[in-house]
Amino acid sequence: MAGPAARVLIVEDTPTQAEVARALLRDLGHEIRIAETGGAALEIGLAWRPDAILMDLELPDFSGFETMRRLRAQGVEAAIIVVTVHGSVNHAVEAMREGAVDFIVKPFAKTRLTVTLENALEKRALATELREVKAQLSRDRFFSFIGASPAMQAVYRTIESVAASKANVFITGESGTGKELAADAVHRASPRRARPFVALNCGAIPRDLLESEIFGHVKGAFTGATDTRLGAAKLADGGTLFLDEIGEMPLEMQVKLLRFVQTGAFQPVGASRPEKVDVRIVSATNRDPWAEVEAGRFREDLYYRLYVVPLDLPPLRDRGPDALLIARHFLAAYAQEEGKRFRGFAREAEQALAAYGWPGNVRQLQNVVRNIVVLHDGERVERFMLPPMLLRGAAPRPPPAEPVPPEVTPQPTHGPAPAPPWPAEAALPWPDPAPVAQPPAAAAEPAPPPPLASPWASPWASPGASPGASPWAPPQEAEAFQPLAEIEKRYILAALDHVAQDVPRAAALLGINPSTIYRKLQAWRAQETSAPR
Amino acid sequence: MIGQPEAADAATGRWPFGCVDPVALQCERCKVSAIDPEIAGQLASDLPREDFVRILRTFEDDLGRLARMLEAAVAAGDQDGYRRAAHSLAGAAAAVGARRLEQVARVAMDHRSNADPRALAVQVRHEAGAALAELSALAADPPGSH
Repeated sequence: MAGPAARVLIVEDTPTQAEVARALLRDLGHEIRIAETGGAALEIGLAWRPDAILMDLELPDFSGFETMRRLRAQGVEAAIIVVTVHGSVNHAVEAMREGAVDFIVKPFAKTRLTVTLENALEKRALATELREVKAQLSRDRFFSFIGASPAMQAVYRTIESVAASKANVFITGESGTGKELAADAVHRASPRRARPFVALNCGAIPRDLLESEIFGHVKGAFTGATDTRLGAAKLADGGTLFLDEIGEMPLEMQVKLLRFVQTGAFQPVGASRPEKVDVRIVSATNRDPWAEVEAGRFREDLYYRLYVVPLDLPPLRDRGPDALLIARHFLAAYAQEEGKRFRGFAREAEQALAAYGWPGNVRQLQNVVRNIVVLHDGERVERFMLPPMLLRGAAPRPPPAEPVPPEVTPQPTHGPAPAPPWPAEAALPWPDPAPVAQPPAAAAEPAPPPPLASPWASPWASPGASPGASPWAPPQEAEAFQPLAEIEKRYILAALDHVAQDVPRAAALLGINPSTIYRKLQAWRAQETSAPR
Repeated sequence: MIGQPEAADAATGRWPFGCVDPVALQCERCKVSAIDPEIAGQLASDLPREDFVRILRTFEDDLGRLARMLEAAVAAGDQDGYRRAAHSLAGAAAAVGARRLEQVARVAMDHRSNADPRALAVQVRHEAGAALAELSALAADPPGSH
């Protein structure tokens, strides 16, 4: 037999003919069924989905041609071989026009029948394979991901390749690129999909609680441990444990995690015996993990244990047309959620979306679309509805997420923030135009509704800056440059002041996750408390 | 030259329409075997004996059923039923190489034929018996069994 067993449907109203075909094909090992009418062929074809059909043209209810047409209309993609009698070669030609892959003249010899069938099956297998490969190369959805760019196709392929294995996966990528979605996809594509997926953000959990969160604790293990509590490792038994922001994990906790990764065993806080679980670990960070190792902030031995299969998520600016694809998805979702009429983006708006660099990646795009939908309405998103930062063309680069240097002077996070100690223009990490400034309107561009433009105002824009003028110039002297962490902190605090300390709105302004602001505030407070007075 | 094998169409193997009658076929039977040794012999040698026998049993069932349908259609003057039964008979006969039966059936299914349906029905019974007898003999002593 040339290939794997196939399903072959013989459509033939004369039992002798059908029996001859069945007997001649027996050696090939295929599964064979017989339909004596066109109606039976449709029924079996739809329910059984044969790989090949031997189709007689003269059937009691309707013709073989009609049966073929109905099967095709119902999506049956079997390779159809028309069986014809002497002198009806014209029928065979017509059958080929109707989509048959070959024809065979009755009576047929065994060799002729088997070769015709095997050729048809091979041709169909190749066509199916080609279609699958094409679909894989052009798919624009993968689990919860949206994106058809080559960069994302590579991500999808890596996830598919590693899913079946138990190997630990280490996801890197800028903030907002979808690291948790990738971890979730690894889990859902794996044989562990029926078991739990437990995600833990190591950066969002106070360091003294992290061990208990991961490994659990027994009642009375520490003050406040009023009950025994299972940790993420136990909850994820048989499934996947996702450790997000693993770079934030304290070194002493890294030692315990290393032991767990090596042995699969852990000891809940306060417990006297270790427990063993079967867990696949997927880790993620927005930092360069090897740079963290070299800087002494991440254990090298743990790095090697976790960094088995690296998965790097591309930033949105490297994903070509994906930004539009994702924007359309969010627009449809939020328009429905908010009861708005939006159905798409105007071409100018699409151009602006495509040209922007999205330093906050998909999360920033999501926030932008959400804000547009909340603040505006219409059939299309027009260019004037976009935040000013998108209308300038040049895309900003995201500030690197470095740890805040200890020498930074703590700033109060409540009440009005102090004015920046240097001219606002010089403080901007990237320029932002005046709040209500609009680009010179094209004749066809609708006028913006004035009250809705304010959410995009820059908290750092100079009040006297003229609309459209660039408020920022690079420092002329080396001494004028400031540490990025300093600028980041001032910028976040200014954004908070601008929105009356509303963290989600400030996060939306900055195109970052609110948790990032909460975490940074927590860190600044801690520094303030520990700073010498 | 009516009914002689040499007069059959070279491309299709069919007899010219209207040139064949049961009497001519009967004469022809004297010269030609009821089965085509190439087709039936090939089946008998290609297939395990049990498969070949199963086909013969199926063929026998078909013959009985279709001959009855043909006769009933003749008695009822049902031309459509007559031609449908003849068509199925021709297909079944062709599949096992029962060439004389196939020829008779093809005459019956041809609406341009002026052959007497009652005579053809009798002829079908006759050729069916002959074909079965030869096929059974072939099953008992398939080619290459010596």
